[in-house]
Amino acid sequence: MALIQRSPMPGLGLSMGITLTMLSIVVLAPIGALLVQGAGFGLAGLWDTINRPRVWAALSLSFRLSLLAAAFNLFFGILLAWVLVRYRFPGRRLIDAAVDLPFALPTAVAGIALTALYAPNGAFGSLAREIGWKIAYGQWGIFIALVFVGLPFVARTVQPVIEEIDREVEEASATLGASRAYTLRRVIWPMLMPAALTGFALSLARAVGEYGSVIFIAGNIPLKTEIAPLLIVIQLEEFNYNGATAIGLAMLTISFALLLAINLIQIWSRRRIGHV
Amino acid sequence: MSDTTLPRPLSAVTEPRAIRLALIGLAVGGLILLVFAPLAVVFAEALAQGWLAALASLGNPDALAAIRLTLTVTAIAMPLNAAFGLAAAWFITRFDFRGKALLITLIDLPFSVSPVVAGLCIVLLFGANSALGGWLVANGHPIVFALPGIVLATLFVTFPFVARELIPVMIEQGRSEEEAALTLGASGWRVLFTVTLPNIRWALLYGVLLCTARAMGEFGAVAVVSGKIRGQTATMPITIEMLYNEYLSVAAFSMAGVLTMLALLTLLLKTALELRHADQLAATRRH
Amino acid sequence: MHVEIDEIAKTFGTTAALHPVSLSIPSGALVALLGPSGSGKTTLLRILGGLEFPASGRVLFDGQDATNLRVQDRQAGFVFQSYALFRHMTVFDNIAYGLHARPRASRPPKAEIARRVARLLQLIQLPDIGTRYPSQLSGGQRQRVALARALAIEPRMLLLDEPFGALDARVRKELRQGLREIHDATGLTTIFVTHDQDEAMELADLVVVMSMGRIEQIGRPQDIRARPATPFVREFITA
Repeated sequence: MALIQRSPMPGLGLSMGITLTMLSIVVLAPIGALLVQGAGFGLAGLWDTINRPRVWAALSLSFRLSLLAAAFNLFFGILLAWVLVRYRFPGRRLIDAAVDLPFALPTAVAGIALTALYAPNGAFGSLAREIGWKIAYGQWGIFIALVFVGLPFVARTVQPVIEEIDREVEEASATLGASRAYTLRRVIWPMLMPAALTGFALSLARAVGEYGSVIFIAGNIPLKTEIAPLLIVIQLEEFNYNGATAIGLAMLTISFALLLAINLIQIWSRRRIGHV
Repeated sequence: MSDTTLPRPLSAVTEPRAIRLALIGLAVGGLILLVFAPLAVVFAEALAQGWLAALASLGNPDALAAIRLTLTVTAIAMPLNAAFGLAAAWFITRFDFRGKALLITLIDLPFSVSPVVAGLCIVLLFGANSALGGWLVANGHPIVFALPGIVLATLFVTFPFVARELIPVMIEQGRSEEEAALTLGASGWRVLFTVTLPNIRWALLYGVLLCTARAMGEFGAVAVVSGKIRGQTATMPITIEMLYNEYLSVAAFSMAGVLTMLALLTLLLKTALELRHADQLAATRRH
Repeated sequence: MHVEIDEIAKTFGTTAALHPVSLSIPSGALVALLGPSGSGKTTLLRILGGLEFPASGRVLFDGQDATNLRVQDRQAGFVFQSYALFRHMTVFDNIAYGLHARPRASRPPKAEIARRVARLLQLIQLPDIGTRYPSQLSGGQRQRVALARALAIEPRMLLLDEPFGALDARVRKELRQGLREIHDATGLTTIFVTHDQDEAMELADLVVVMSMGRIEQIGRPQDIRARPATPFVREFITA
């Protein structure tokens, strides 16, 4: 096969030119710069930078809390999608639109709003303080911010799958004597799982890299509540480009691994079911 | 088995009523805690000292400069992104070539990269201490800590929006209508404007809408490349951060209120598009 | 099993899907519910299967009231129009599903389940497809697997909703014969819904002609042909 097949369609040169030029300037060259900078720094240098308690603490905090937030969103997102598709109740449209708000609301706005709400003197924070529960300026605060930004992913990937489930399949399960719980576990869940896992991975990828909504509510205490993206910003403010590069590369690796995981999930589910 | 006093279930294949009510309650309750309450707090804090204080804080010259800058950045990034999305969708769906899957993955890449890392990448490429950046600064065209850097960062984080809306729609519509127009003697541009664009206009608008919302609200990537110079390179989200850190709560939340209203407007338009033109929008959406 | 339908009525919102209808089906019969779309035949079948509940009236199985019996407890083998096979399970797991779903106390041991599935695959004359997925089967094969799955739970009756609707003419003929043979081999009371009068006349012992939520005529195929009871029946069977 030729590199590009002959086609009567016009605009090959122009559309290819715009696509590749923009892709190169906006995405590939900057990411390439990060890789070149990292290569110049050397593996040993990168490792020495990452292998410090403060960096490890930030990376593991970011990853751990992102994992927890994505797990919560996996559960809550499936719940939301199920309720929105299957049940009719007043205000359903409003709830449906509200699921998208975390995509539309700027992260800085979300950050200060969640902080105002969950700080010890805030509406929910003061209630929590009465039972001795500190939310903002601690790991709980980070968790809530990460749940917020990742909220729509699972719900929006699972929703169309639930809509497409043939009701006769559930009825068939019931006529064969299966209880509702058995049907949900053995028939519904296997159908939702690929989409749910994709949403989980997307939500996780978003949470690991999240900055704007977290820094206001986190407290940002080194070794305790300092997330990895913040550490990059701090290194840059100190003009420590090598330090920032090392952490940035570590995060880029995590992103690529998650991207790969998403693609593998989709290939796997296509093989198993015949289509996604 | 002959017991007719058993209550009749509503439907054979749904959950019991109590469970349905509990699930609806959990969903609504969760969204109140996570979405509706933060939304209310933005406006409550903005108006804590009345309308006048809120409006006065937005009339401050630095605030006006921030609004102007955000609008400028959006006005540059949005058409560039739309043009790229259209070109990429045309190239990918109207031609067959090797490496198509790789190209799509690369276009999607920015969604998986942390905005802060994106900002870092731009600083490393165009910053004053890089070869390219040093040369640009010496010639009077600084990129980082200036408008071009902010535009570039915004383009990076919004890069896939339009393309990924258009690609599935254009794949579904196929090439036959454009081919028909070509056999009737239409030129390439005529085909684009009279056949392709009318078919994809709602999907294009949808992608542009998502892209605009994200462009106005981007924080992490812009925070890294802008240098946060008050009145010059501070966008609205950056200004919110600075005001908040100076404990100017009313001013911070007033500006946040403006962005929140824009977000709500976006959602409203998006919902209207989904209701009226669902058939022309991509069936599979995630981001 | 003897099935008695006693003054069953059903409304959806304000439209009546079934005016009170009564019908007695002798044990072991092969019955066709014949009618155009919207005649209420599928609703009646779903009420028998426990998938819908009547607004009034009773359903009796062997003289016992089964009107409010849960669908899970009816032991009605139901074959859906779309077949509704579980596409993430192999043919084997599809057929074994109803046995696996039983509570532990009444669940047969693994070896017994495997034996029964093998026997059912023999019965539908597809002994070698146990490891395949539904997406790898032809339409006719899917229909037969759906039938085997319904038979696996040792049903008290067999209910089929347009069992041959989605198949081409040649396969349809072949499978009609298959259903007849399975009915004769198992002796199960079998009720199927169809809009195709040839199919009803050729296959059933007893044909129930329905229109607009009412039963127009009940009778043996030759009697209905010879003496249509209403103008509707005359028109429908000669169409």
